[in-house]
Amino acid sequence: MKFKRFVHTIPMKLYILLAAVILFAFFSNDFGLVDIQKTAIILAAAIDRTEEGFSLTAQIAVPKGSDRTTGGTSSVEIQSEGQTVSDCLTRIYTKTGWVPKLVFCNLILIGEEAAKEKVFDSLDYFLRNEYMPDSCLLAVSEGKAGEMLSSQSAIDDASSLAITKLFSDAAQKSGKVMPNSLKDFTMGMFGVSESGYLPFVRSTPQQGEQSAEGGGSGGGGGGSGGSSSGEEPQQIYSADSTALFSKDKMVALLPIEQTFALSLLKGKVFAGTFNAKEEGKPVTLSVIENGGGVKLDSKNGLKAKLSVDLLVRLCCRSTAVPSEENIGDTVPAKTLEDAKGVVEGYLTDLWDTCKQSGCDLFSLKQSLYRSSLKKYAKWKDNFLPSLSFETDVKVRTRK
Amino acid sequence: MTAATQKRIAPRQIYLLLACIAPIGKIVYLPSHLAHYAQNDLLFPAVAQLLVQSLAVFLTLLLAKRGMSFCQLLEGVFGKIAARIFVGIFGLFLLYASLLPLLEQQLFVQSEFYDTLPSLFAFGPFFVFCAYLCSKPLSSFGRTWDILAPLAAAAFVGVMLLSVGSADFGALAPAGAAGGRGFLRATASATSWFFDAALLIPLLGKFEYKKGMAWKGTLCYLGGGAAVLFFLATFYGIFGPLAETQLFGFSKTSKYFSGITVLGRIDYVFIYALALAMAFYVALPLQGAIECGMQIAGEKKYLRTFLSVAVNALLFALLVILEYRLKQALGVISDMLFWIFPIFFLLVPALSLLIRRRRREV
Repeated sequence: MKFKRFVHTIPMKLYILLAAVILFAFFSNDFGLVDIQKTAIILAAAIDRTEEGFSLTAQIAVPKGSDRTTGGTSSVEIQSEGQTVSDCLTRIYTKTGWVPKLVFCNLILIGEEAAKEKVFDSLDYFLRNEYMPDSCLLAVSEGKAGEMLSSQSAIDDASSLAITKLFSDAAQKSGKVMPNSLKDFTMGMFGVSESGYLPFVRSTPQQGEQSAEGGGSGGGGGGSGGSSSGEEPQQIYSADSTALFSKDKMVALLPIEQTFALSLLKGKVFAGTFNAKEEGKPVTLSVIENGGGVKLDSKNGLKAKLSVDLLVRLCCRSTAVPSEENIGDTVPAKTLEDAKGVVEGYLTDLWDTCKQSGCDLFSLKQSLYRSSLKKYAKWKDNFLPSLSFETDVKVRTRK
Repeated sequence: MTAATQKRIAPRQIYLLLACIAPIGKIVYLPSHLAHYAQNDLLFPAVAQLLVQSLAVFLTLLLAKRGMSFCQLLEGVFGKIAARIFVGIFGLFLLYASLLPLLEQQLFVQSEFYDTLPSLFAFGPFFVFCAYLCSKPLSSFGRTWDILAPLAAAAFVGVMLLSVGSADFGALAPAGAAGGRGFLRATASATSWFFDAALLIPLLGKFEYKKGMAWKGTLCYLGGGAAVLFFLATFYGIFGPLAETQLFGFSKTSKYFSGITVLGRIDYVFIYALALAMAFYVALPLQGAIECGMQIAGEKKYLRTFLSVAVNALLFALLVILEYRLKQALGVISDMLFWIFPIFFLLVPALSLLIRRRRREV
């Protein structure tokens, strides 16, 4: 009887097993397999404006030859032109037979000229693409982005990897670079303030070039770029300037000091340094604690308050240690006063740049919108010109 | 315990369905859809829908007091033939209602579980799985909810724990920015996601009404609804003006958790658990439709299996035909044909209660 019952339930048990297998297959994502021979894994993309529309340079990871013993990534840069960014990617596909895969794209470089007019024409494709990670870093390059991405880095196999190193957490804490992601930049630009910022990347030839042992190895292994890679000078990248955007275009460039001021206002700096004067001579102070913020007061007119609260220690003097009393890292009161003046100066310059360029960098218009629709309606058309500001800077040291 | 009572669904299982399974369908496509029409006011249309649906759930659970199936309920008033026609129409409605969660799930699987657009038939296995589920009697689903509800609740809590820290809830201010028109459009187009009371109608007669079940069930539904509202607020807090472009909300909010850069996408554990529970939720209206078919034709050997295979094959064919028009189809259901839903989830239980009163007066 029991056996009969068992036999009777076999079809259903098999069906359950089949359903379980199918369900597993359904959720399997093809077991994450990627056919490397047919797929172009794009590490970074560079976009420039052309007469036709756009030029897209994609840096594609390629398998390394077995002769390389170092870790890292070999890459090849493919350039393509088209009326839209999507058009460019399709042409890359037709040129190479590789299906472009954006899921690992971690950097989009926008050429300076492309950034100066309707930047979202360049970014629209990436925003619409479901497979594009929105945590992807964005940056503006000095000159043509394609040239920068195709250049040979002095510190890494792939230029995009060298550039993304500039945006590491440690670099961010230094206060000298302000990275931004596709998501955060777009949120700022599509929000009420219609403003945002991106790091501005410059490249300079490495001094004493060809000193690196693998002059041709970076591109040589993967047949990089197509152009004669061994001849080109290796590049060092920097991103200590910040490009400001307002209403879809780049409107100003913050120098390193103002980038530092912006970092201080965001409260992100730890162990970052800046210079002040001690008896007319430069000293370097290191930030141990950083509090910062910008608040809008709309009770009597519009007033912004830029607050920075710093705990600093003395990092370096430009002269030899003169006496026992200042051998520690405590900063003398006079130097603190001077440091306060320096930071105030940075903040004032930053404010002026923002106001003149029409960039609501601190999303103050959005603050007003969120706090009162009535006041927003009153001020929205003449917001930045109506805005006054004050700074509140505190620079302290350990006793 | 007799064989008859063994097959019945326990009230606890109904509560679990309302509190833990029903909310899952509202965190996939609905958040971006609401943000499209109501922007930062997306909570208000959701609250309106939840209140109306709670009333519908209350009325439907009151109907369960009579201990009759939907077909038996109508037979007493309209006669056998008319009752079967009504039940048939209701079954067709459930088939129609199943389209939206199906489309949602196909789009979700295609874009979240694959790195590039998969082949047309990648979603096909779901229908084999669904055909199996639908071939089982509806009353057997109680046990499924017993297992799935804690899983779904734990996964939801996991997703929320990873998401809340990244949200700027200030993005929900100022209230009323979308205006009355935005509210009405968002409320109307969200109707297609709120038809849970209609899912209870084929279950009538399969569970025993216990004292206070109507209000307890309604409270459970409101509890699940509160979780949906919390999710919507977090979703908008994370994406702000980009919310309307983030199509599959529950799979995206948790990826900004700071630990993910170190640990990798650990949130996928919770997302997969929710996707698993969602697969059962998607099958629910189809099962209801097949149950309606069974009530019309009566219990016959292999009929349920036949109906199950036929209905799933039909829907698979439909999705294959729609292939590149999935989003448009979703738009037609939610923006143009939304008015069909309240006729079935609200009017049907309300009128069924009234009909009984009239009979008593006679």
